[in-house]
Amino acid sequence: MPQNNLATTASALVRGVSPELQQEIEQFLYFEAGLLDNHQIAEWMDLMAKDIHYFMPLRSNRGPRERNKEYSGAHDIAYFDESKASLDLRLRKLQTGVAWAEEPPSRTRHLVTNVRISPLANPKEYEVKSAFLLYRNRAEHQTDVFAGERIDGLRRNDSVAGFEIFKRHIHLDQSTLLANNLSIFF
Amino acid sequence: MATIIQRREKSSPTVDLASVYDEKAGTISPIVYADPAIYELELERVFSRSWLFIAHETHIPKAGDFLSTYMAEDPVIAVRQKDGSTRVFLNQCRHRGMKICRTDGGNAKAFTCTYHGWAYDIAGNLVQVPLEEQSFPNLDKSKWGARQARVDSYKGLIFATWNEEAPALADYLGDFRHYFDTVLDASEGGTEAIGGIVKWIIPCNWKFAAEQFASDMYHGTMSHTSPIMAAVTEENPGIDPSNLPGYQFRARNGGHGTGFFDAPEGSNWGFRIEQAGELVEGFDPEAAQNRQAAHLGDKRGTAFAQHLTVFPNFSIFNGASTARVWHPRGPNEIEVWAFGLVDKAASEAEKEQVRLMTTRTFSAGGTWEQDDGENWVEIQRVLRGHEARRTDFNIQMGAGATRTDGPDYPGTISNAYAEEAARGMYAQWFKLMSDADGSASKVGAYVDAAE
Repeated sequence: MPQNNLATTASALVRGVSPELQQEIEQFLYFEAGLLDNHQIAEWMDLMAKDIHYFMPLRSNRGPRERNKEYSGAHDIAYFDESKASLDLRLRKLQTGVAWAEEPPSRTRHLVTNVRISPLANPKEYEVKSAFLLYRNRAEHQTDVFAGERIDGLRRNDSVAGFEIFKRHIHLDQSTLLANNLSIFF
Repeated sequence: MATIIQRREKSSPTVDLASVYDEKAGTISPIVYADPAIYELELERVFSRSWLFIAHETHIPKAGDFLSTYMAEDPVIAVRQKDGSTRVFLNQCRHRGMKICRTDGGNAKAFTCTYHGWAYDIAGNLVQVPLEEQSFPNLDKSKWGARQARVDSYKGLIFATWNEEAPALADYLGDFRHYFDTVLDASEGGTEAIGGIVKWIIPCNWKFAAEQFASDMYHGTMSHTSPIMAAVTEENPGIDPSNLPGYQFRARNGGHGTGFFDAPEGSNWGFRIEQAGELVEGFDPEAAQNRQAAHLGDKRGTAFAQHLTVFPNFSIFNGASTARVWHPRGPNEIEVWAFGLVDKAASEAEKEQVRLMTTRTFSAGGTWEQDDGENWVEIQRVLRGHEARRTDFNIQMGAGATRTDGPDYPGTISNAYAEEAARGMYAQWFKLMSDADGSASKVGAYVDAAE
């Protein structure tokens, strides 16, 4: 992690990222969050690329010699490890009208901030890191607050939204998840 | 020691258990799920006297590998020893009670308390006390090791108990083993744990979860109708579970239970592929099915969607290859610790198929699991009501419809849609809860099962 930070200091990050690009990508992230918060899940799903990897690893408390094992790995169980096919299955589940964990649906508010953009080798692609605070309230009293970081891969395309998402890796700032389920999208 | 027990007995809350569970009438009082005094008594009489799941052997393969976990509310550390055995001891320093291990797992040479620095070796022996000569000149360190639990294992699963008089684990499991083996012994070499333990909180009583996995096939088509419907496509009509023959089993002793469908060959694998949303490249489900059917060698080879609970709080849903402990956290909350199980003999592609399936269906975000959490939370919320707590639940499904002469399935069995296993679980619960001196959890109480 420290080496990574050296390569993405503020000055290095700003190089190649114009204010226009910064604004364009931030607006895309807000647009996308708005779809989720307005229950337009099918429209949100259209933003997911065919090669999407939607992934939320587990996090555990590790000692100093094993800190690199804080996040679960590619061959471990995760909170989410989704492809386009499995995300589509989730969408179809929600559309049945009998997906009880979201029927009636949760009220959510996705706050997205601290947006840092790095151009990738393919000139149409960017890695976009952001911090999020996701408020979820459902049924009569239930309230959950999730905070964390998203590491996204965005690809410019011809859609109205301007981009598709080919990677969304979500680092949740909890080890024991303090919610009864994760029936919402991040 | 005697004084400690006496003090504990004295402070034990007075609970009138007389009418909370009536198997003949088929009623259970909701206060068993919500009463703080009953919960305190459960910690003593159920959890401290039963065998509790600790870890899969493959969670801690090498000497010094450890896992921090819990036996009910008590934090413990499970550590692999140099001779291959496992020690399980209380994660509590004998000086002032600070945790001697504050991480979730890893490899350790010793456990040093971060309060005053007492250090314990991987067997839990106290080996170092800072400033010992000045501060504790007469300390006999051999008497102040971490409190040890009794450890036993069954086909790759490590259990522990505080009950010195409990039967051996195999006898505790008794006639349940035949059905437990459907999961644990379906291939040469048994199972291994997929890496990672998903941990989350559900504000509900532990018995709702344990009972559902012991006994409740009935909820499947209502609670989980959405992922079943979602997987139906033109090419894949899906499996209609309401038309499948199926069985439920109630252990003769111990409160364990299971149920499953007797489905067309390969149903488990078809389910694991459709509910994962995709077939992993290179995975041959037919080969996996044939391997397991050949190794099991009887009707268990076609058991589909098997659910089970080892009393009190360890459960498996084999349809999704998921195992979990329901750690109790007061009457109104549990911590779920879930992991995946896969055959050691499986190919890499099969392991990946199972990993994706179990992650996508039965974890906190799983398409099946999320709806279970919803039900239990709502029930628990209702039980805040005084009248709700006084309104008995019906637990009569399939009463009187058991048989013990099943040609393919030994023991007490009934229809898959029954509550026989739930009644077995509550009978064991009631027996332990009514038992002040602990005799109901000693070797003799399980003697039938040891046959």
